[in-house]
Amino acid sequence: MARRSKSSDTVQLALPAELTIYTVGELHPRWLSWMQQGTANTAAEVHCAAVEQVDGAGLQLLLALSRALAERGRSLRILAPSESLRAGCAALGLNDWLQTHVSEGIAA
Amino acid sequence: MNSDADDSFIHDVLPAFISEAQEQIENLEQLLLQLEDAPGNSELLNALFRCAHTVKGSAGIFGLDRVVAFTHHIETLLDKLREGQICLTPALDTLLLKCNDELRVLIAHAASPEEEPVAASAARAALVEQLQLAAGAGPGAEAPSAQPPAAAAAASPRLWRIAVAFGADTYRNGMDPMALLNYLRAMGEMPSLTCNCAAVPALDQLDPETCHLAFELELDTRASQDEIESAFSFVRDDCELLIQPPEAGDESRTQPAGNRPNRGRPAKDLQGTETANSRTAIAAPNKPVPGKPASPKENGTEETSGRYIRVHADRLDAVINLLGELVIAGAGAALLARQTRQGALIEANGQMGRLIEEIRNGTLQLRMVPIGETFSRFRRVVRDTASDLGKDVLLEIQGGDTELDKMMVERIADPLMHLVRNALDHGLETPDERQAAGKSAQGTLVLSACHEAGSVLIRISDDGRGIQRDKVLQRAWDRGLIEPGVRPPDEDIDRLIFEPGFSTAETVTNLSGRGVGMDVVRRNIEALRGTVTLSSDPGLGSRIDIRLPLTLAIIDGFLVGVGNSKFIFPLDAVVEVIESRAEASRTDERGRGVVELRGQVLPVVSLRALYALEGPEPERTSVVVLQAAGRRYGVQVDQLLGQHQTVIKPMGRMFRSLRGMAGSSILGNGEVALIFDVVTLSQLAAEAPGSTSRIPKGSAESTHHTPDNPNPTMSRHATTEQGTTP
Repeated sequence: MARRSKSSDTVQLALPAELTIYTVGELHPRWLSWMQQGTANTAAEVHCAAVEQVDGAGLQLLLALSRALAERGRSLRILAPSESLRAGCAALGLNDWLQTHVSEGIAA
Repeated sequence: MNSDADDSFIHDVLPAFISEAQEQIENLEQLLLQLEDAPGNSELLNALFRCAHTVKGSAGIFGLDRVVAFTHHIETLLDKLREGQICLTPALDTLLLKCNDELRVLIAHAASPEEEPVAASAARAALVEQLQLAAGAGPGAEAPSAQPPAAAAAASPRLWRIAVAFGADTYRNGMDPMALLNYLRAMGEMPSLTCNCAAVPALDQLDPETCHLAFELELDTRASQDEIESAFSFVRDDCELLIQPPEAGDESRTQPAGNRPNRGRPAKDLQGTETANSRTAIAAPNKPVPGKPASPKENGTEETSGRYIRVHADRLDAVINLLGELVIAGAGAALLARQTRQGALIEANGQMGRLIEEIRNGTLQLRMVPIGETFSRFRRVVRDTASDLGKDVLLEIQGGDTELDKMMVERIADPLMHLVRNALDHGLETPDERQAAGKSAQGTLVLSACHEAGSVLIRISDDGRGIQRDKVLQRAWDRGLIEPGVRPPDEDIDRLIFEPGFSTAETVTNLSGRGVGMDVVRRNIEALRGTVTLSSDPGLGSRIDIRLPLTLAIIDGFLVGVGNSKFIFPLDAVVEVIESRAEASRTDERGRGVVELRGQVLPVVSLRALYALEGPEPERTSVVVLQAAGRRYGVQVDQLLGQHQTVIKPMGRMFRSLRGMAGSSILGNGEVALIFDVVTLSQLAAEAPGSTSRIPKGSAESTHHTPDNPNPTMSRHATTEQGTTP
C-alpha cells in the first residue's frame, strides 16, 4: 500500500507478503504511480517486514524500482527486510545490493 | 556402429589401452616415488593427477567399471593433494603406491571379462576405505560421491565459471532463475555469484513478466559439464549460457555462447586427450598382451603419438632376421665378386656392403631403449625392501640414458632385481651397524650403466659391509666346494657366491636368503652373452659389474684365421694388431706367454695351442691386442682377415661349455667361424703362464688340459663350467 508519509521528504511503500511472478503484474502499475509521488529530494522507503514469498521476478521488480529511483537521483531505502527477502537476495547474489539499500539508521 | 562392430573395435583397441595404461601406472609410481623427496611439488602432483585421470578416462571408454570406480577414489585423493587440502605423508604415499599396485592388477585383468574372486574385491574395498579416510581427513572434505562410472569419467571437484543470461520468456515458461541457482548450489559450492543488476531496466521501462536477470557465478563441483548443462536444460533454448570448465585458459571466456542447444561447447579437453602429452613413447614394440594372441591388425589401431610410431615386436624381429640373412648373403656375394677380380663388380659390391651396414646399424638402433626405465623400477624395490629390513638406503641412478637392446633390457631386469635385493639384504647394514662401523646411517646403492668397448656395463655398487670372506670360505668348506683348510685368493672367494646352492645369510629371509639366487643370476646373464664379476672391499662395500653385449643379433667382427679355422673377435674389443715372430713370444704348452709391447708386459694366449688347432705354424704370426673387462691382452693368430659383419648364431648345446666362445657365425663362403667372448678369454690369458687346470667333468671335449693339478681354485672353475651347462 502506497501512502504518503507525514513528513513531506519521505514516501513509504509497504511490500505485500507475496513478491513473486504472480503479483508483479499487479504491483508494477502501483509502484510506478507511487514512484511519481516524490520529488528528487524525497527519500523512498520500502517497508519489507511483511514479505514472505519472493522469487526472481519479484526481486527483479524491486531491482527495477531501485534503478528507476536512481535514475531520478533518489535512493531506495529498504526497511526491515524479512528473512524471506534476505534469503531471496542471497539466492540471487544480491547481498551486496541489499546491504547498500538497507537503511541502517532508521528503525523499522 | 552396431554392437558387434563396437565389440570388435574394443577387442582391437583394448590391448593398446592396456599397454598405455601400464605406462601411466609406471608413471604414477615414478611420480609417487619422486614426491617422497619433494612432497609439496605441485608440478609432480598435477602430473600425478593427470595420470590417474587419463587411466580413469580411457578405462571409462572401454567400460572397465572396476578400474573406473577404483581410480575414481585415487583421483579424489590426488585432487585434494593437488589442491593442498591434504599434505602428502609417507603413510599416504605408501597407500597410494599400494593402490597403484592394485590398479596394475586390475588393468592386467582388464581383458578377462569374468568376475573376480571375492577376496580380491574385498582387498580393494579395504583400500578404497583407506583412500576415503585419507581424503576425508583434510579440511573441507566431502564424502566421496558414488557416481556412475560414465559420469565419473569427467568428474573432479573443480571450479567452473558459468555466465548465464536468462531468456525473456523464462517467467512465462514457469521457470524461476532463483530456483535454478539453488539447484546449482546443490551440486557443489558456489563461492561467488554476481547478479548483473544493470541488465534490469528501470521500473518505467519494465515489463514485470519479462525476465532480465543475468548472473556470473563460480561453481565448485565434481559434476561433469554435461551434468551442469543439464541443470539449464529447461531454460536452455532461450538463455545465453557460457560454461567455462576448470583449468581452461582465460581466453576461452571469449568463446561465443550461442543460444542453440548444440552450439560448440567449451573445450572438453579434460576427457582423456591429454594422453599424448604425458605418454613417454618409445620407438620400441609394445608388449603383446598376455593371454591374447597379438594380431597384426593391432597395428592399424595403434595411435601415433608425436613423432613416435608404435611397431609390433614381431615385425621388427622379422626385419632383423631378414637383415641377418642379407648380411650373410652380402658377404657371400662380396667374396664371389673378389674371386672374379672384376674391379667394377667388386666396387659395386663394396657399395652394397656399405649400404647393408648402414641398414644394419639403423635397424638395430630401432630396438634400442634406454635402460633408465628399468632402473627407475628399482626405486620402489629399494624403498620397500629397505623399509622391510629396517634399513635406510639411498638409491642413486647413473647413466639411465644408456641404450640397450629392448629384449636385453627386459631380460636383465630380473637378475638385476635379485642383485639389488641381495645388496640390500646382505651388503648394506642397518643404521646402527653402520654407525658402529663409523659410516653414515644411510647406506647408498648405486645403479649405473655406461657403454664400454661395444658392450654395456651395468654396475651395482653399495657402501655396505662387503663380502664376508671368512663366512663364504667356511661355507665353501662345509659344502665341499673347496677342500677344507685351503684358502684360495680373495677374488676367488668372492666369486664363490655365484656357485649353485650357496648362501651365507644367517637367517633365511624371504628376500634373498634362499641360496637359489646368485648362480641363477649368473646363468641368466651368461645366457645373454654377458658376464658378471664381483669385487669387494671388506667393510667398504662391494661392486658387481655386469657386461652385456649391445645386441643379441649382429656385431661388427674382426675375422682371423688360425690353421684352417676362422675366428671372430668383436671389433669393438680390438685395440690394435702387432706383428710378432714366433721366437719373440714364447708360450707354454697351454699357449700362454707374454710379449713386450711398448715397454709393457702383455699377456698373450696362442689360439693354436689353447684349442689344439692343427695345421703348420706359419713363420710370422700376428698378435691381436684386445681390451676387455679393464685389462689388455694379446691373442696370437696366424692370419688377419679383416672386418666382418657378423650375424651371431647360438652354439649348439654340446659346445655351450666351451670357455671363451660366445657363439658362431656363418661366413660368406659357408664356413663356420667361432666368435670369441673376449672377457672369458681374458681370464684365460690372465692365468699365470705355466699353471694348468684339471679337465672339468662333462666338458672334456673342450679342453686338452692335463689333469694333474689339484689346485682348489681351478677345481672351482670346473664347477663353474658345469654350472653353465644346461
